[in-house]
Amino acid sequence: MKKIALSVIAATAVALPIFIGENPYLIGIMISVLMMAALSSAWNILGGYAGQYSFGHAAYFGTGAYSTLILLTLNNSLNPLFCMAMGIIVASIIALITGSIVFRLRGHYFGLASIAVAEIVRLSVLNLEFTGGAQGILLSDVSLWGIDLNSKNPFYYGMLLVLVVTLSISQYLRTSKTGYYLQAIREDQDAAASLGINLAFYKNKALLISAALTSILGSLYGLYIRFIDTSAVLDLRLSIEIILTAIIGGVGTMWGPVVGALLLVPLAEMLRSNLLGDVLVKAGLVSETSGIGVFLKENLAHAHVLVYGIITVLCILYLPKGILGLFRRVK
Amino acid sequence: MSFLQPLLSGILTGGVYALAGMGMSLVFGVMNISNFAHGDLMMLGMYMAFFAFTLLHIDPYVSLVLIIPTAFLFGFMVEKLFINRVIHHPHQNQILLTIGLGLIMSNTALLAFTSDPKILTTTYSSSAFNLPGGISLSVPLLISFLITGVTIAILYLFLAKSRTGMALRATSQNREAAQLMGINVAKMSAIAFGIGTALAATAGALIAPTYYIHPLAGHSFLLKAFTICVLGGLGSVVGAGVGGIIIGVVEAMSSTYWSTDWKDVIVFVLFLAVLLFRPQGLFGKKGGE
Repeated sequence: MKKIALSVIAATAVALPIFIGENPYLIGIMISVLMMAALSSAWNILGGYAGQYSFGHAAYFGTGAYSTLILLTLNNSLNPLFCMAMGIIVASIIALITGSIVFRLRGHYFGLASIAVAEIVRLSVLNLEFTGGAQGILLSDVSLWGIDLNSKNPFYYGMLLVLVVTLSISQYLRTSKTGYYLQAIREDQDAAASLGINLAFYKNKALLISAALTSILGSLYGLYIRFIDTSAVLDLRLSIEIILTAIIGGVGTMWGPVVGALLLVPLAEMLRSNLLGDVLVKAGLVSETSGIGVFLKENLAHAHVLVYGIITVLCILYLPKGILGLFRRVK
Repeated sequence: MSFLQPLLSGILTGGVYALAGMGMSLVFGVMNISNFAHGDLMMLGMYMAFFAFTLLHIDPYVSLVLIIPTAFLFGFMVEKLFINRVIHHPHQNQILLTIGLGLIMSNTALLAFTSDPKILTTTYSSSAFNLPGGISLSVPLLISFLITGVTIAILYLFLAKSRTGMALRATSQNREAAQLMGINVAKMSAIAFGIGTALAATAGALIAPTYYIHPLAGHSFLLKAFTICVLGGLGSVVGAGVGGIIIGVVEAMSSTYWSTDWKDVIVFVLFLAVLLFRPQGLFGKKGGE
């Protein structure tokens, strides 16, 4: 039964661009859904399984995106996959430094330090010359094995592939020794340590896997959008969106991040494109030129962060285990 | 330039940071919650001072008389309505709840007040107090520092002498034992959060005449407040006071001798250095980490 469901989901995901291939807007939203699902799953390996909440995952995403685009603007003939690999290396170094400072400590320090590291990365990129500073980086042209990278389909499949890899690692971790160790650390650090689990080593391992996957997604995003600046790829807001996606779906579950992304990304898109305002106008409830109509049109684009805030609060108060938590049997 | 100039300006700004840090530290000590909405509460204080000045024509420093009780009540209500319900939840959920509340505050402010930064200009905004040796101290910062000193003295007396203050300290030391001694710990949490909010709003109002007032201003103050708390030792109110001054001086020194753009980076590097070398903070108890 489970296998059939999985095959159906996989077949739908692979075939989707054939049906909506004519509509670049829809495929763009699907790419965002896949990316957020993968980002959130990667975060979940560290936050969900090991219980170490990172509030600065944008640092790894931005590192991937910036490394790739900086290298390609320096030398256009480089293989994008090589640039992606360099991004992973830089992200891993940042992760190792963070981990080695913080994972010796217990308590709330990792969350705080992850923000501090992310801010150091963001402000450095903003203030340095070779990163393009506040203007960001624009990449004019890129090629890989003759694939047309101006179309969206390659990125759809790229994101899908990374999502599948991330979910496979999640699945593997759930039933492997490392995964059991991580869950033991999450449930009770003292008990885990007393059984001989090297806390710092396994936390660092989870952080490295999570950071590397996040960096790959950053590289893909950079190649897809071809224009990045710090507010797009290094902002605290992005880190929070990644966590929120996991929380809404269900932290520590394999499919939670996917469910969260399927709900949140289209919702944000609806708010951004002022769909709600359009619906109200079409229904004749508000006039387009009236005060409310103009207010909605001008402000709803910004309101999606406000809605994220409201959803976070409601979710923590009423649905702390996420949507998948509702369906889980009590053990 | 004289070495004393950035040192003294840093101490003045640091005093206001200390106020914000102490608010966060008190909440952390009594409730064991990292309040990620603290910066946004400061931002609300900035706007309160701004509107008291532009709409009611009250001097920003005089308006504290209104801002402090309003902010206390606001914080008290927020604790009762939201924070109180997650007090026994995992720490991550508490952080996420305060992040959510902070997002609601900052983005409501963004919708209500737009993203145009506001400037609060008083008659004395740009006047300076000249000391011998070519050192000049900004008058608004000097007044802010004096008010900060008075506020800290009142807070100290309240925590040290009053019955409520003692109950707050007892709750901070050991929540269960305090409850067994008949202290209403739920009420203490609400009071602590109210005081924390009032301190944040006061700090916001005090720097309003010297900063750009912006809905997203809270973000950078939040991280500063955290650095101050970790530097002073999480939960130590005295430590936060000293931590605030240190951060103010470090910022002023790095602006003067290096670059304004990098001053926040230096503060965060300092934060990581504290975690690396002295994780219990300057005044924290050893083993607390």
